[in-house]
Amino acid sequence: MSSVSSNGTSVPTIARDNVLKQSEKLEGKAHGVRGYDFNQGVDYDALLKALSFTGFQASHLGDAIDQVNEMIDWRLSNDPIDDEADEEERSEEFRRNCKCKIFLGYTSNLVSAGVRETIRYLVEHKMVDVVVTTAGGVEEDLIKCLAPTFMGDFALPGAPLRQKGLNRIGNLLVPNNNYCLFEDWVMPILDQLLTEQREQGVLWTPSKVIARLGKEINDPTSIYYWAQKNDIPVFCPGLTDGSLGDMLYFHSYKSPGLVIDIVQDIRAMNSEAVSAKPRKTGIIILGGGLPKHHICNANMMRNGADFAVFINTAQEYDGSDSGARPEEAISWGKIKSTSKSVKVHCDATIAFPLLVAQTFAKRQGAAKDFENGRCKGG
Amino acid sequence: MSDDEHQFDHKADAGASKTYPQQAGTIRKNAYIVIKQRPCKVVEVSTSKTGKHGHAKCHFVGIDIFTGKKLEDIVPSSHNCDVPEVVRTDYQLIDISEDGFVSLLTESGDTKDDLRLPTDDQLLTQIKEGFGDGKDLVVTVMAAMGEEQICALKDIGPKN
Repeated sequence: MSSVSSNGTSVPTIARDNVLKQSEKLEGKAHGVRGYDFNQGVDYDALLKALSFTGFQASHLGDAIDQVNEMIDWRLSNDPIDDEADEEERSEEFRRNCKCKIFLGYTSNLVSAGVRETIRYLVEHKMVDVVVTTAGGVEEDLIKCLAPTFMGDFALPGAPLRQKGLNRIGNLLVPNNNYCLFEDWVMPILDQLLTEQREQGVLWTPSKVIARLGKEINDPTSIYYWAQKNDIPVFCPGLTDGSLGDMLYFHSYKSPGLVIDIVQDIRAMNSEAVSAKPRKTGIIILGGGLPKHHICNANMMRNGADFAVFINTAQEYDGSDSGARPEEAISWGKIKSTSKSVKVHCDATIAFPLLVAQTFAKRQGAAKDFENGRCKGG
Repeated sequence: MSDDEHQFDHKADAGASKTYPQQAGTIRKNAYIVIKQRPCKVVEVSTSKTGKHGHAKCHFVGIDIFTGKKLEDIVPSSHNCDVPEVVRTDYQLIDISEDGFVSLLTESGDTKDDLRLPTDDQLLTQIKEGFGDGKDLVVTVMAAMGEEQICALKDIGPKN
């Protein structure tokens, strides 16, 4: 009934049974928690490898790293030959060279920040196949080639900044003058676009405009310089929602008539997903908003992405798409239910460079591999 | 100078086909401005300060002084705009022809016959009725950028 302790009273059975409830044995079924031990010195590689078993978002980042490595390492030769495969698809060499098609999406604040350099690296070495971003994600990169963005502080009061002509983006500052330089640079290009539309019948789309701007900026520090050089399409259906939109607005008064067609681009974007077969697709999305949904939606057209990593700070309790976890995307058919998709709840300025360090950057030596990744699937 | 020459040149000879440049930031409400090659009176000006959209901009809403149509333009405030020279001249109304032209008496005693009746209904009615009643009418002709139009009417008393 009850055990007798040294001073004679006994612990009630009911209390003992609840507090000392028998537990299921996890040994052998789950991994133990163990963080990095600095007694081994400062070994950054080991430090980052230790993320996986540190717990909480560190573990999610560790899982994201594993997922991205799966994306990079997958080959068609990993999978059994599909019954409907044609002769070319059955060839061993084709299968060994056929890689996952990777979609990268990001919001403009990350381009204002130093994640721009990480993104540029991926695009420079053809490590991603399709890019989706917002208007700011395009212009902030181009403007940085004309004049720098500066470090500031979240606590800076707004009115004095306005008087000094300084625009705050979080704890970064962009002087008005930068946008004036952008206006001076972009207006003649818009004139050229209009002329080519009129004289050569060019029908511009956001992706074509971005490619042109990347060509015109001609600066190896720019994401879009490398994107057009490497034929990586950049989709931005919301091209008007930023300084670029302001420029298009003013340009329409000065020289009206420029047309930018979003219909062509949605064909192209969805085709990237639909025509990817036999390649698998992987999606890496930093932040929420338009880039997140646009990429997920395109992948819905092919019954879901095979690999997915989200890095953002949004929460799901308000039902927003930005905050939605991969599990929600699975219900829509945007991500395959068989995927081991990961969401890292973290500011991408911390998580993404660390992720790239343990994935793409370690494989730069095999850049040739990325080159050959564009197999028949498109 | 023969009448034939006069006929071909009458537009260019209007005397007020000039525009001159002025900085956009200095053009105020009720001044004149050229928008899309049309002479306009400024009914609204707003300036947006330098910001994310680039240089400071002036947004003009103007009314075409001849057609009454509303026209808009947005121009960087440091940019030069064209300002039309608008000249008003009074002439005595001598006659109205069957096909809608008017015959005016100039200061020098010549007649000016190349102007049509105005299209504005109210003004048109006033001219026709006033002339029909035998009144002495003086019309004000507004000229700008090679175009002319009757814009106002004065009654200086009945014909004797």
